[in-house]
Amino acid sequence: MAANLKLEHASEWSAVRGFSNLLWKENRAWWGTRRWWVNAILWPVLLGGLVAVMLFVLPGVADPGNDPNVAAAGGPLPFALQMGRTVFFELGTLAVALGVIVLLQDSIVEEKQSGVAEWLLAKPVARRSYVLAKLVASTLAVLTLLVGLPSLVSYLLLSMREGTPFPPLSFLGGLAIMTVHTFFYLTLTLMLGTVFNNRAPILGIALGSILGGTLLGGLIQPLLYVTPWMLGKFASLVAGSEPVPAGLLWAPLSATVVWSAIFLLVALVKFERSEY
Amino acid sequence: MSKHGNFVIETQGITKSYGEVNALRGVDLQVPPHTIFGFLGPNGAGKTTLMKILLGLSHPTSGSGTIFGQDIVKESVTIRERIGYLPQQPRFIEHMSARENLLFTARFFFSGPQKSILERCNEMLELVGLADKADRPIGGFSGGEKQRLGIALAQVNYPDLLILDEPASALDPLGRQDVLQVMSRLRKHTTIFYSTHILDDVQRVSDSVAILNHGQVVASGPIGQILDGKEGVVYSLVVKGSPAGVGERLSALPWVTHTTVAQKNGSSLWQVSVSDEAAAETSLLRTLLEDRTLTVTDFRRKRYELEEVFMEIVNGGNHGR
Repeated sequence: MAANLKLEHASEWSAVRGFSNLLWKENRAWWGTRRWWVNAILWPVLLGGLVAVMLFVLPGVADPGNDPNVAAAGGPLPFALQMGRTVFFELGTLAVALGVIVLLQDSIVEEKQSGVAEWLLAKPVARRSYVLAKLVASTLAVLTLLVGLPSLVSYLLLSMREGTPFPPLSFLGGLAIMTVHTFFYLTLTLMLGTVFNNRAPILGIALGSILGGTLLGGLIQPLLYVTPWMLGKFASLVAGSEPVPAGLLWAPLSATVVWSAIFLLVALVKFERSEY
Repeated sequence: MSKHGNFVIETQGITKSYGEVNALRGVDLQVPPHTIFGFLGPNGAGKTTLMKILLGLSHPTSGSGTIFGQDIVKESVTIRERIGYLPQQPRFIEHMSARENLLFTARFFFSGPQKSILERCNEMLELVGLADKADRPIGGFSGGEKQRLGIALAQVNYPDLLILDEPASALDPLGRQDVLQVMSRLRKHTTIFYSTHILDDVQRVSDSVAILNHGQVVASGPIGQILDGKEGVVYSLVVKGSPAGVGERLSALPWVTHTTVAQKNGSSLWQVSVSDEAAAETSLLRTLLEDRTLTVTDFRRKRYELEEVFMEIVNGGNHGR
């Protein structure tokens, strides 16, 4: 035993002790395995493919004479651009949220079940570091792989089809709303992972929120002001520079940010109190 | 070391309840430094629960404890800087190799230089005999190899205290032997607190033991003291010749406190309890041999097997130590 190795003891702020090492582990789980390239191919192909179909196939079959929507949009090409944008922002927002839930549903639960969480927490680690490392690494990976890359592909496709660059500020505005929506489901899934010890309730609640949300919002309209259920629609409108009543946009947007903060807080508190 | 005493681990009246179930019922424990301390008990006695409380993975319902004199609840993160822990089923980051797992673990404790950290990891791989498999996927490791890697991970930070939960229970005899050897090698560097129900292992490597039953410590102390049994110092003799003559001679000795005799194959088997160990060592056998009609065919200090002590305590008898 060579106790004389010149090793420097880790000096980290005690409130987030172990964070940098845990973040390294989480980043490695995303970027050091095949996970990154599977997602880096899947999402741009999936969302970009749908946008491409709208942009390049739809004009050939859209008939302004028979379809009032095509006529209202100003012809097959404007209609295709509108549909491409709608598919990316409305359908894409939902698809990315579903992806986040599926990818993160076992992020904490699996480690709790396997005993890895217990093993990690037996090290000099502040418990909040564990949750924060998952949050930061997942946010970085999700925003890059599930939001960033497909957005880039879709933006290029839209610009290519339009023949001029798609208005970047509008597109970024839509993207910002999509990001807030994504972050909501990311924090929700992580929080559920700290609360439950198996995947079923996590998937049930998170997927229920997405799939049942729109239905519930239709029945109880005020819910749409305090939930993220309309954000996909708004993202599409903002990206298309279409008018959105300010109150209608900011209320659910702010509420979604607040919900995300609450989810994060609950996750931190719950994990701090958990026993292993 | 404890502020209150010279102990690495010291607990006072720790209880842990899960609803109606009392997993621990007032555990008082003292673990001296540089010992291999065996923590025994039947399944469900509360061994793992106490270990988790010591590690801050679980909170006591009541009672208190210190490790290195620091409070196990309030100063848990600081305490864990000086602890190595091997769970019952060793856990690893599956997508990392053995060396990467060690590096990852070491970085919780050390910030640099990287070369020294890597050197430390290599040293641990050598210690547990996994240097040649350091870069292989962990999925292909045998149970014994995983256990040895677990010990390396627990030891990578030069811990002052190693907490091992059933380190050898899932292993075959060779794997167990490996683990016990590694523990013996580590004895001079650290205090080892380990739980087990394999009594043979405890008797082989432990200095001190505590026996936990139904959430309470029912016996605790140096292994020699535990093996002496509750009657104190007892000598066992097999004598050929008149039992009456033996009885007379023994009863004349002032430090003989109690005798029992049983007949077996023409010999009498005596159990002699004494109050003065030194006097018994020098005079007991000599006194009997003065009678030329008696032949002593066996004379020894009675020692219990740990299993006997354990079974007696766990199955109802309580030594009350």
